[in-house]
Amino acid sequence: MVPPPETAEPRPSPAVGGLMAPATQLERCVTGVEGLDNILYGGIPRGNMVLVAGSVGTGKTTLCLEFLVRGAERGERSLFLSVTEASDKLIQNLSTFEFFRTDLVTNGSLVFVDLPVLYDRLGLEHEELTEEEIAILIRTIRDLVRQLQVKRLVLDSLTSVGYRIRRDERIRDFMLRLGLELSDAGCTALLVSEIGPTPGRYSLHGVEEAIVDGVVLLWNARRQGDILRVLQIIKMRGTTHSQAQYVVELTPIGLLLAPHLKGAHQDGQ
Amino acid sequence: MAPVDIGERLRALPGGTAVTLKLDPREYADHYFAILNATLRDVGTETNAHTIYVAVTNPASFVWGLAQALDVLPDRISFVDAISHIMMDYRDPLPNATYIETPRALESIMLRVEYLLKKYPHERSIVVIDSVNSLAIHNPPELLSEFFHILLNMLKSRQVLTIVLEVAEEETAAVESMLNLVVDETIDVAREGP
Repeated sequence: MVPPPETAEPRPSPAVGGLMAPATQLERCVTGVEGLDNILYGGIPRGNMVLVAGSVGTGKTTLCLEFLVRGAERGERSLFLSVTEASDKLIQNLSTFEFFRTDLVTNGSLVFVDLPVLYDRLGLEHEELTEEEIAILIRTIRDLVRQLQVKRLVLDSLTSVGYRIRRDERIRDFMLRLGLELSDAGCTALLVSEIGPTPGRYSLHGVEEAIVDGVVLLWNARRQGDILRVLQIIKMRGTTHSQAQYVVELTPIGLLLAPHLKGAHQDGQ
Repeated sequence: MAPVDIGERLRALPGGTAVTLKLDPREYADHYFAILNATLRDVGTETNAHTIYVAVTNPASFVWGLAQALDVLPDRISFVDAISHIMMDYRDPLPNATYIETPRALESIMLRVEYLLKKYPHERSIVVIDSVNSLAIHNPPELLSEFFHILLNMLKSRQVLTIVLEVAEEETAAVESMLNLVVDETIDVAREGP
């Protein structure tokens, strides 16, 4: 039995309260990743669709998995749509973290769905999805979210889906419609975007970042030849947020964030 | 001047205090052992206390060897070792240590300390940074100042007793003025005796 979700109140922030207080506070989806909630001043506005963009090995999938586990713990049913990695392998990797609990999977609070299996079942066999097939895919995700009453969703990765949608106008349409469906269901979503190590772009097509409500960017910065994993909130509709850069570590108890020190020359981004 | 009992002075300090212990380079070995005795045994073995030792001058294995000689139990201390990797001496990692590849990864030191504070919550948490001089070898003063400013304030807000080891006469003016800004008290072991 999944307990009812807790109501999340926004936390005070430099721009929330006092002279800069906005007229209305939106309900938050507390990510449960403590450092991330701090720099978002309480969490992601509920129903937002957020791009988690980064190159390989920057911690995108781990961030998303912790977001889902913390949500499932809070009584928010969570769904992981996997394109790039089989669910069994993901769960195996997840079990190395202390924050993971297998009972969340067995009791249905945390659900994994392999998208390639879904493609097969739906008969989506064209290498480039047609408009009709895209509509079927959106309807299927919507139905999953509604039937399971999913409050948190991760698509890993949007880039892999984008390789089958290909055209800019179709990816734009796919994202707009998916965003509306998820928002209507009060479902907060993280969409993983795989990008190269060079800065300046957050997605495969380059249109995705304009449609989503938020962009969380992860990259590897260099200091004297050493690599530091860095996170920055590029945008987040519906809330003020930190504009600073943070170093991220993937620890057994979850992601931890510390301010990125600026005293030295950086030859990364 | 009469010698001070460092352990007694440290025990009297409340959580949230940051203190520098200055060692005399001419009597380094004696002072170093006296300080370990005071920090790890006198303060670290208090009821409900846990010490996080940030090892930059000597590897965690070396400090752990001394701690064992002082009868410190392994569940009373954990290490953030930022020197073994760079010395290419990483064959036998300690079970109560977490290793960082280089003392230049200052943010990683902050995050590992935070990790250990979360993993081992105790009524009395103590963080020992050994030492400011060793960190200064690998990091420019501006970066080190930023590091100490953020870390010590974070530890103060969590009511952690922070002990920074410093070898007298080897610090630069920039490091000295930065420490004066962020610590609450300095115990000059060189001047006052161990």
